[in-house]
Parts: sequence; structure tokens; C-alpha cells
Amino acid sequence: MSDHQPMITLDGVEKRYSEDAPPAVERLSLDVHRGEILVLVGPSGCGKSTTLRLINRMIEPTSGRIVFDGEDVTHIDANDLRRRIGYVIQRIGLFPHQTIAENVGTVPRLLGWDRGRISERTDELLDLVGLDPSLYRDRYPKELSGGQAQRVGVARALAADPPVMLMDEPFGAVDPITRDRLQNEFLRLQEEVRKTIVFVTHDIDEAIKMGDRIAILRERSVVAQLDTPSRILAYPVDDFVDDFIGSGSTLKGLHFERVRDLELSNDYPFVRSSESRGDTRRLLADSDARFALVLDERGRPERWVDDEDLSRGDPSETVAGLGPKVIAMVEGNATLHDALEAMITSSAGQAVVVGRDGAYTGVVQIEQLTEVIRRMRAEAKAHYDRLRGRA
Amino acid sequence: MTATATASDPATGGPRDRWSPRDDLGLVVTPFVLLAVLAAYLTWLGAQDLPQQAASAITGDKLLTQTREQITITALSTLGVLVIAIPLGIALTRPWGKRFAGPALAVANAGQSIPAFGLLVIALAVLGRVFGRAQDNILQNTIGEALGPGLVISVFALILFAILPILRNTMVGLQQVDPDVIEAGLGMGMTRREVLWRIELPLAVPVMLAGVRTALVINVGMATLAFLIGGGGLGVAIRSGIQLAQNVVVVTGGVLTALLALSVDWVGAVAERILRPKGL
Amino acid sequence: MDGVRSWAGFVADNVDGVLERSLEHLTLVAGVMVAATLFSVVLGIVLMDRPVARQAALGAAGVLLTIPSLALFAVFIPLVGIGNRPAQIALFLYAILPILRNTVTGLGSVDEAVVESARGMGMGPLQQLLRVRVPLAWPVVMAGVRVSTQLVTGIAAIAVLVGGGGLGAYIQRGLTSLGNPFSIERVWTGTVFIILLALVLDLVLGLIGRRTTSPGIR
Repeated sequence: MSDHQPMITLDGVEKRYSEDAPPAVERLSLDVHRGEILVLVGPSGCGKSTTLRLINRMIEPTSGRIVFDGEDVTHIDANDLRRRIGYVIQRIGLFPHQTIAENVGTVPRLLGWDRGRISERTDELLDLVGLDPSLYRDRYPKELSGGQAQRVGVARALAADPPVMLMDEPFGAVDPITRDRLQNEFLRLQEEVRKTIVFVTHDIDEAIKMGDRIAILRERSVVAQLDTPSRILAYPVDDFVDDFIGSGSTLKGLHFERVRDLELSNDYPFVRSSESRGDTRRLLADSDARFALVLDERGRPERWVDDEDLSRGDPSETVAGLGPKVIAMVEGNATLHDALEAMITSSAGQAVVVGRDGAYTGVVQIEQLTEVIRRMRAEAKAHYDRLRGRA
Repeated sequence: MTATATASDPATGGPRDRWSPRDDLGLVVTPFVLLAVLAAYLTWLGAQDLPQQAASAITGDKLLTQTREQITITALSTLGVLVIAIPLGIALTRPWGKRFAGPALAVANAGQSIPAFGLLVIALAVLGRVFGRAQDNILQNTIGEALGPGLVISVFALILFAILPILRNTMVGLQQVDPDVIEAGLGMGMTRREVLWRIELPLAVPVMLAGVRTALVINVGMATLAFLIGGGGLGVAIRSGIQLAQNVVVVTGGVLTALLALSVDWVGAVAERILRPKGL
Repeated sequence: MDGVRSWAGFVADNVDGVLERSLEHLTLVAGVMVAATLFSVVLGIVLMDRPVARQAALGAAGVLLTIPSLALFAVFIPLVGIGNRPAQIALFLYAILPILRNTVTGLGSVDEAVVESARGMGMGPLQQLLRVRVPLAWPVVMAGVRVSTQLVTGIAAIAVLVGGGGLGAYIQRGLTSLGNPFSIERVWTGTVFIILLALVLDLVLGLIGRRTTSPGIR
């Protein structure tokens, strides 16, 4: 039961529906680590759902072994196994004839928990997924919106506190806005519950967002690449992966780096808006920069000024109101992708970085972003070169 | 028996499943199966050494006459039902008749539990008085003499009884026509009448035919009870058998009735198949 | 109006008899319906995963419903004699099709995602059936039971022709005494009370159906 032992191991698992046809899943070996979200992603028909369903033996493997928490479960009672694994599917499959509470309590009831414990657990879970138990406990599935139903589906899967959850395109059937919200909620939930999760999707963006690691599958569930999202984006191992992650993969990699981790430049002089034009002009002339930054009384970036702006009017007047407003502005915990977006929308080559309180902390330059991309690629390449060298 | 021999269900009279090649195979095979069963039964019957009483109750002549009577009752009552129920059903789905549609359907549904037996006897009591009173009544003199008053009264009772399924299916068939299609027809400048004849009725035909077949099956079944009011039919053999305590006679009446009913249903199925518009 | 008054008078004078015959009729129908419901639902469950046998069973039940009631009553007389017995068997056979067909339809139209999630949570086949499929199919099954009950209540009038009891006896007595006093009143009594009984049974079954159906699928 060491923490290094994988939670789930698929060992040469294969599924054939007939002797003659090619296998649906071909000799797949895969480890799922404790507490990670492993995303299986691939084009439709690649066998990713079949693979998921092999894990809880909704589909029985033709050959190979399934090891669950160190125990070979290939031949144990399938229903026992399934009660130890949460299972969420795209169409949710809530029982329409049962209340929300009864739905959530399904597996605990199958496991023979007593009523008090089930009801307590049900309320706790509804709270956890953001549904007020006193409002929703006694409702029926038909009274829920798609997003609420999916939350109940997740709560139901978590009911008996299984160490593992299998999720088959769980957010596939809701509108994009709800999907985004459910994804965020689920990630927050996962911070709390730290389950081992195998997550199937056909959407590479969802995979990148949700996955600690991503397995990109080609036909017959053959693993094309298995790695962290950033490394896959930085270094697709072959054309199949490159095609699948699509154009813009390099930019997507910027999602994984945060502005606060960069060394911010302080090349631009900055002054309070109460400063006089003359003094600011001198300050700007002494620096190498073409612009100076004007901050308000609380240190928040307000405007950019250049020499021409400062030369207007009386040098003793304040700089307040001069120059264009600062548009490209991000917080320190923003991703580099956010920073890039800010730069592009404001058509500036840099973005101003502020703290949580909105006070100026520095500037990030577009060159820094390209440098980060170059570094990520080099690191990923070095990683794979090392792997190849070892092989 | 084949799937086609199953009646469009008298209980709901709903439209049947979509056509499949197996249905056509069933249509071809069914009459042969029915004939084979008939031949087998008659062969077995011929080999029985029957008591005089029993043998005289089921002579070939008697059975033929009873079969003819039963077919006559079935055919006449079905015809009568069609003439009454289809126009009525159409009327009840026209804009000016719609407000009566709900009550009519409710009555049609409730009618399922009306006992045929009771209806027949009531018809006899009511119509029998009419027959008796008007000596030169056209019913009495022409139709009545040719067919026998019991038979005519049975036909009247059966018409009443079988109106419901056809009425219901006509209404349901017309109501289920996609309003968009009607809208399209009106939009192209068709009159209400043209829309009815060229769009609504053709589209409703499958459901209406299912109703007709249901009515056929109900009628042939009820015709078995016509003997109760002197209308003849194969029920006579069954009754004689029960009265004489001759099981062979009872069963002969039962088997022949069953075969006749299945044959009539087959005719209904063939009619349904032939008359159903292509493409539906 | 006179007819109605004399009929009401007849019923009032014969309350005991009418109730007794009604009870007989009810007993006959109820017994048949309980048996037919159990049989058809179990058969429907057994046939759920057997499409060929299912088609055959539905076809056979359809043929039975096509056979005229008196003929079906008659063919059982040599086997079980006259009385209520042949009527019970024949009515039982009639009652099968609507229930069987609705059971099969109901079980088959349960959302596969629901069954999949039941399986995925570790329900065995029996649990899936009893906790998920049957409760979800129940309203459809009950609709079939109601249709069958209407059918059987009406046809049961004929039981008297093969020596059975029930409200058909009033129609029979009325028929044989036609022309004598109270004959037509007897016929109406049998007919009207059969229709009333069918209505009451339909109401009761509707209520039972509502009470036994989860509010989540009403």
C-alpha cells in the first residue's frame, strides 16, 4: 500500500469481440497514479470508452490483468468491484423514479449502510457539489437542469467514498458555459477529495484543462503519448499527436506557466499622478525607456506617457490625465496565456503586472513569452531524448 | 401462427408497427396454415364414431349454412360501420366538429367494456318490437324475409358495437397528421376540401385501416353470439353441443369459429396491405 | 322515462341479487386479472432479452385475442367441463396480450443510460430488474392491466352461456323470458352493472397505478 504503488494498473489488457476482427483494445498497459486525474483522449472510435469500461469490467477483458490498489481484480465479482469505483457517464443515468437523495444513496444502500449514515452522507455530498440539501434532497431528477443533474451524478459516484472514479465524457452533454463552470467546480472538488480519476473525453482542450496527465490514444486504444499536458503540448512525439492537439498547441502551453514565476522587468520609470511633468520628463530621459508609467494615489497603473506628452503645457503641472490609458494589465497569478491575450487585445508588446490589491509590480514583455516557449520545448525534448537514450 | 395473424389490437386499436418483409411472408403463409388446420380437424372429425345426436347437429349442410350466416352478418355489419363511422370521424375532426371530438373519444374508450351479450339482447328487445309493430315495414318484408329478422337485428347491434373502434381510429388517424403538412397544403392554395382528400385522408389511411380490421375481428366474434337472438351462425353449433353435452359438437363449433375469425382477420390484413398508400 | 323508472324499481327490488351477481362478476374478473397480470409480467421479464421468443409470444397472444370469445370458451369445455372454469381460462388468455405487450414495451423503453449507471454502481441483474427496470416500466404495465380489465369485464358476461356466473345471468334470464314482465329490465341490469363495474375497476386501478408509481415519473 505504498504511495508509489499505482492505484490502477492495466497489464496487457486486450478486448476482442471476435477472433477474426482486430481487437477493440490492443494489449494495453497503463498505470494510474494515486490522486491524479488521468485523461484518456483520442478521436472517436479509438476505444477510449471501451478502455474505461474495462477498468470496472462493464466490459470483460479478453486477456490481460487489471490490478486495483495492489489486488488483482480481473476475476473477482464484478459487482463488488464496481461498488468500490465511482462511475459517471455522459448521459448521467439518474434514476428518474427516485429522489435526489435516494439516487445519491444508491451504492451505500447496496453496501448495506444504515439509514442515518446514508442520509448524513447524502447531505454532505449535496453540499460538496453545491446543491443545498434542504432544497434538493426530496426532488426528482426531472426537476433538475442539465448542470444540476450532472452534479448529482458526481455526488452519486462519490457516495461510498470510492478511492477511484471513472468518468466517461461527464460534461459532454451540457452547454459550453455550464461545462466550463462544472469543470472548474470539479477541479476545486478534486482538490478536496483527492480521488484517483480516469477521465475520458474527445476534446483536447478539456483534456488539457482537467488532466494531471493525458494519454492520447489512437485506434485500438494504442497509447500515442502519455505525459503531462504541458509536455505533450511542447513536444508532440509524432504527427498523430501533433494533428490531434491541433494548431495553437504551443500557445496552449502558455496556460501552464504563471506570470508571477517570471522575472518581471522594471525598465519603465513610474511616477505618481501628482508628479510634475518636468520631473517625469527628466526621469524618462535618464532611463532607456520610451515610456513612463503613471500610477494613481494607491499605486495602481493608470496611463502611459512619452516625452511628447510630457512636453506639453507647463512643466510644473502634474502628469495626471496625460497619455493613453493602460489596457494590457494582468495579475501575478494569471497564466502567460492571459498575459499574451492582454498584449494582443491592447496591441502592445508588454503587459503591466499588478498584485492582488491592483498595485503595480512590474511589466512582462512579449519576448519573455517566446523565451518561455523555447525553454518548455527544449526541456520536453531533453526529457524525451533522455527517455530514448535509456531505452 | 404468424405475426400478421395478430389482429391490430382491438384493445387499443392503435396503429401497428412499421411494415417489414416478414409481414408479407406471414400474409402468404397464413391461409395455408388455416387450411391445413381445417383439413386436419375435419379428417379427425370424420374418423370419430359420433352418437346420432351429435352427428345430426354438425352435418355438412348445417355447418355450411351457419358459416354463411356468420359471414353475412360480419360483412353487412362491417359495411354498415364503415358507412357510418368514417364520415362521422371525419366530421368530428373538422374545425366545426372539433368540440364534440373529446366527448366522442371518451365514449369510444369507455365503450370497450360494453358487454356484447347485453347489447345484442337489448337490440332484440328494441328492434323486435319495431319488427312486430310494422307488419309492412320494409325491414320485415324485404330484408327481413330474405335474411331472417334475427340476422338483421344482429347486424344492427354489431354496427352499434363496432362503430367505436373505427370512429376512434379515423379521428386519431386524422389528428396525427402533421399540422405543418396541412399548413403547407393550404399555403399552396388548396381548399379545405382538397386538403382533406389529397393530404389528410391518404395520410390517415393506415390508422383507419387498422381500425377497420379491428372492427372486422370484433364483428366476426360477435356474430358468434347472433344465435342468441335467432340470427344463426356458428354459435348455434356451440350452443347445441353444450345443450346436448356433446363435447365434439362444442369443439367443432369453437374450432370452426376460430378458423373463420382468423381468416377474416387475414382478409383484413391483406386489405390493409393492399390499400395502404406507398411510402407510408 | 317509464322504462327508466321501471328499471330503477326492478333494481331496487332486487338489490341483494344484483349485489350478489356483481360480486360474482367481480370475483371472476379479479381472479383472472391477478393471474393474468402475474403471468404476463413474469413472461414479459423472461422474454426481455429473447427477441424471437418475444415476437412469437406476442403473436400467439394476438391470435388468442382474435378468436371469438364464445369459441374460446367452448374449446375448453371438454377439458374442464362447464361452469366458471372454461370462462376463467378463456378470459385469462384474452387478458394476456395487452399486459404482455405493455410489459415488454415498458421494460424495453427504459433509458439505457439509467441501466448502464445501475450496472456501473454494482447492481446485479436482479437488482437492476427490481430496483430500476420494473419500477420505471410500471406505469406502462398498469396501463396494460387497465385495458385488459375493461376487456375482460365485458366479455365475462358470456360466462353464463357456458354455465358460469356473474352479471351475464341477468341478460340470459332476460333473454329467455323476453316478452314477460321485467325481462328487458333484467337485460339492462346486467348490461349497466357490467359497465359500472368496469368503470369502478378502472378508477380503482388508476388510483392503484398512481399510488404505486414514483412521483418522479408521473
